[in-house]
Amino acid sequence: MIAQHVAAARPAPGRTVPARPARQATRTLRRSGRLALALLVILAFVSPIYLTIVNAFKTNTAIASSPASLPVHPTLGNLSAALNQPGQVLELGLRNSLIVVVCSVALLIPLGSAFSFWISRKRTKTRAAIMVAFAAGLMIPPQITVLPIIKILTLMGLDHTYPGLILSNLGGGYLSFAVFVYVGFMRSIPAEVIEAARIDGATGLRVWWTIIMPLVRPATATVGVFLSLWIWNDFLNPLLIIGPITGQTVTVGLYDSVSNQVQPDYGLQFGFMLLAALIPVAGYLLAQKQFRAGLTAGSAR
Amino acid sequence: MKLLRSRLARLDTGLSAVAALTLVLYLVFLIVPVLLSLKTSFTNQNILFPNSSFVGLANYRQLLHDTQLRASIEFTLALAIAVTIVANAAGLGFAILLNRTSLSYRVLRTLAFLPQVISGIIVGFVWSWMLSPTGLVNHILTGTGLISQPVNWLGTPQLAQLSAAIVVSWVLSGFTTVVYLAALQNIPRELYDASSIDGANRRQQFRMITFRMVAPATTISVVICLITVLKLYDILTALTGGGPAYATRSIAMYIINVGFSNDAYGYASAIAMVLLALTAIIALSVTTVLRRREVDL
Repeated sequence: MIAQHVAAARPAPGRTVPARPARQATRTLRRSGRLALALLVILAFVSPIYLTIVNAFKTNTAIASSPASLPVHPTLGNLSAALNQPGQVLELGLRNSLIVVVCSVALLIPLGSAFSFWISRKRTKTRAAIMVAFAAGLMIPPQITVLPIIKILTLMGLDHTYPGLILSNLGGGYLSFAVFVYVGFMRSIPAEVIEAARIDGATGLRVWWTIIMPLVRPATATVGVFLSLWIWNDFLNPLLIIGPITGQTVTVGLYDSVSNQVQPDYGLQFGFMLLAALIPVAGYLLAQKQFRAGLTAGSAR
Repeated sequence: MKLLRSRLARLDTGLSAVAALTLVLYLVFLIVPVLLSLKTSFTNQNILFPNSSFVGLANYRQLLHDTQLRASIEFTLALAIAVTIVANAAGLGFAILLNRTSLSYRVLRTLAFLPQVISGIIVGFVWSWMLSPTGLVNHILTGTGLISQPVNWLGTPQLAQLSAAIVVSWVLSGFTTVVYLAALQNIPRELYDASSIDGANRRQQFRMITFRMVAPATTISVVICLITVLKLYDILTALTGGGPAYATRSIAMYIINVGFSNDAYGYASAIAMVLLALTAIIALSVTTVLRRREVDL
């Protein structure tokens, strides 16, 4: 169909072909023009992050007078002020966020992949029904489930606790996402690979761990990166499930600390934001190669 | 055969147990909460009346006369439509621009995703500073003489709504760019080569090849943008806090306001059901329409 349309496109008649050196010059010009445009677009994407970095090292007067420049007299005052807030909001927040992310992702990956392996071998009808139920998880807004989840956690005696928050992360949208990515990848694993292992008498769990998991490593990278970012950046669930008493994750701690300022102290804000964003940004930059491979392969299916 | 199957079933008990555990978690922390929310929406549950009673459709009747809710729904829907259009047009354009194999473009592609990496709270705070009277935007605009007086971009309802649309579009453009880049990299090179031989120009190639080949990615990208904006909470909370005069309060923020600040759980649950219905209807109908479009193109 596409070929047909392409064939219908006739060359413009009488187009003059410039002499060779001139053509080369145009090409170079066009190439650098493209790169300049691309740089401009990326500048728009990174400017808030750039502003956070440079302003974290400026005094409030310097931020007001030259908001976009590099720090002329760099100061570490904002960073140390952020680290020395009453109650150690930043340090405790970073620690709590790390615990929540590591525990949640370390449980979601095996649960999601084993579950996907299990349903990928069910009959088509069963599989389709389960996938519809899991698609709902991607769609249902957390504002609808968070109030009842707190009630359920209260019944379990886990309200306002980190185990409760981690447990609630295991159901819902995060699990749906993991299952969708893994099922997509597992569809391409030939059935003979699994059958051969099973004739040798390997159990389902053993096949999953020794054969399937190594084959779906790009999916694990994608799921791991996305879930870590989402759980680290999650605001609503820790805000309401943990509450104000126990000590919060870094994302909620940042919000509390900034929204409690009577007079905005932008220097302190930028210092706090820089330290709060450091771990996810560094993690993404380190993992982005694997993550991109998984994303590209996944979308090809 | 039967014997073999039963032997295999025995081998699978461990795996089935893990799968069952996963299903239970999904039920307890997603399906059951939705049903509980539905049940609560028919009660007058409230922090003052822990022993709530069934009130039938009273909460739903109240919805019809809630002008604050109507304002929230109108704002959320307008934001969803505007942001989805802007982020998808920009994302496709940026993806085409960045779809080059050299190292500099690979670095730029990595950076394009950064708005997705930082939390919505940080995005909201940085932009609220940028748009404030003393912030960067006014600094540039007054510095270049485009405006004489600094403008509070978050100060009036209309400007705040416009600012919110720009900020959310900025965040989601990073996401759509990555989605469209993945789609572009899967288009066979030969299609372009063949069309060049046939004499197609750049614009024809875009219309006949690129636009059609990214149609499945468009479906995914549009639906995810819509769902994301419909449940948007953190960016708006940090950017505007829902103001001024509740002009930028999303439905999701209204639910939490009613449920937690006013402790009216029953009524908050009824609003939550409205959001759920809206999300489901929009996601399903847009998916159906766009899937059909993929075939037609």
